Amino acid sequence: MSFIKCLQLPLRKEEAASLKLGEIVNVSGKIFTGRSRFHIRAIESNILPPIDFASVNCFFHVGPVMKKDGEEWKIVSIEPTSSIRFERYGADVIRKLNLRTIIGKTTMGRRTAEALRETGGVYLSKIGLCGNMLGTQVKKVHDVFFLEELGKTEACWVMEVENFGPFFVAIDSNGRSYFEDMNAEVSDRMKKVNEMLGIPSEYAYTKVNPD
Amino acid sequence: MISYSRVETAMYEAMKTAALKMPPDVLDVLQKAMKEESDPLAKMHLELSLQNAMFASEGKGLICGDTGFPLFFVKAGNRTEVEGGFGRLWDAARAAVAKATAESFLRPTMVDPLTRSNPGNNIFRGMPKVELSFEGEGNSLEIIAAPKGGGSEIFGTFYKMLFPSDGKTGIMKFIIECIKDGCYAGKICPPAIVGVGIGGTADLCMKLAKEAALLRTVGTHSSIPEIAEMETKLLSAIRESGIGPMGSKGINAVMALNIETAATHTAALPVAVNAQCLVGRRWKAIISGDDSKITYTGTL
Repeated sequence: MSFIKCLQLPLRKEEAASLKLGEIVNVSGKIFTGRSRFHIRAIESNILPPIDFASVNCFFHVGPVMKKDGEEWKIVSIEPTSSIRFERYGADVIRKLNLRTIIGKTTMGRRTAEALRETGGVYLSKIGLCGNMLGTQVKKVHDVFFLEELGKTEACWVMEVENFGPFFVAIDSNGRSYFEDMNAEVSDRMKKVNEMLGIPSEYAYTKVNPD
Repeated sequence: MISYSRVETAMYEAMKTAALKMPPDVLDVLQKAMKEESDPLAKMHLELSLQNAMFASEGKGLICGDTGFPLFFVKAGNRTEVEGGFGRLWDAARAAVAKATAESFLRPTMVDPLTRSNPGNNIFRGMPKVELSFEGEGNSLEIIAAPKGGGSEIFGTFYKMLFPSDGKTGIMKFIIECIKDGCYAGKICPPAIVGVGIGGTADLCMKLAKEAALLRTVGTHSSIPEIAEMETKLLSAIRESGIGPMGSKGINAVMALNIETAATHTAALPVAVNAQCLVGRRWKAIISGDDSKITYTGTL
């Protein structure tokens, strides 16, 4: 396995600035979780959990599978979810909470990348399916908010993690995106794919409506 | 006659096993793909996914934390009898899913589409989904449980009404566009199984695509030579796109491309695409009609 850089949370600005696209990292410290409902409520209704976001500054996009063992919450699997779905509110949440680390699956769009450039933050994307291994790297489940109204999957969990990862840097603190760069290459290669299939570059589907 | 309780047991065990064990054909293809990839990140995506599946099979977690939509595909023979009638299949499915969710083999994921309220047990209007079909003269019951992940369903579902003059070229263009869109940033969790439906009405077309993605052994091709040729051609072309596992730089964006067809209107050429993610979750239970004995298998 490639060299893995260990990052301490909350992530310092200088450390975030040193991270390069595609670099493989893990993180240690406190994280909080959330999905669509967290994003929508935070921006549309200003509903936020009572968390000190300066110290719990890493937003992990996930709906963990949780099991109650006596009084304690145990993790069955904690598989990052597709962050790109949160693009409508992602940038606003990052600015509002001044976030410097986002962890999720896939990537995020231009608006979020711009917000990360402003906070000097990075977006880290998961590597393969990893929810079982990540579960073993959670040292403690500190708290859970909104459990009653949102349920276990969409609730906001606060956790302590150690050498949590690996993840790769998909958006750096300059707002550059690993997947946007890659997509340019792929779009170019699609010409060859089309050629192999005998699809002419000028091919258009039958139009049944005016422009 | 097959007893109701046997149906419930078979559905529960098949669904639970699907959440914990990767089907052997899928595992095989992923191992081969890992050897083929050269980009370190592409390789690592598969290495960790296989490790994750191993953990799950040892009872340390799940194949994927998003256990998705709880789907059952049930096939009966003409002489199959179920205690209480076939309508009880839906009762059994609900009981099985509720139990698997309570035991954390399934994540409570099904919600009301508008209020977004979550009943907490994956049981809500239309879910779990049971697709019942009949085939042959037998008396057994075949149940395939498929917890279908969100990524592949949400980002890997497309439908387009083409026209006869759009021809094969139009069909292939559409399929390739869908694959590129779905694979961007690993949204559908490649290497994907891409199911394609051609023909039928809109709903039949999508059903063909879904069943092509979920119910065919990886590595097999259509029995219709013209369709099989299209599958092979598309599969080898997409390897040139530069898209690899989880949208990384590589060659294995698609592990299987399965096309199913049905008759359609003489004016129409509907095409549907529905993707299945790299873990290809499904497990089968067969209940004998003679002694209600249940056999489980990861092979279709």
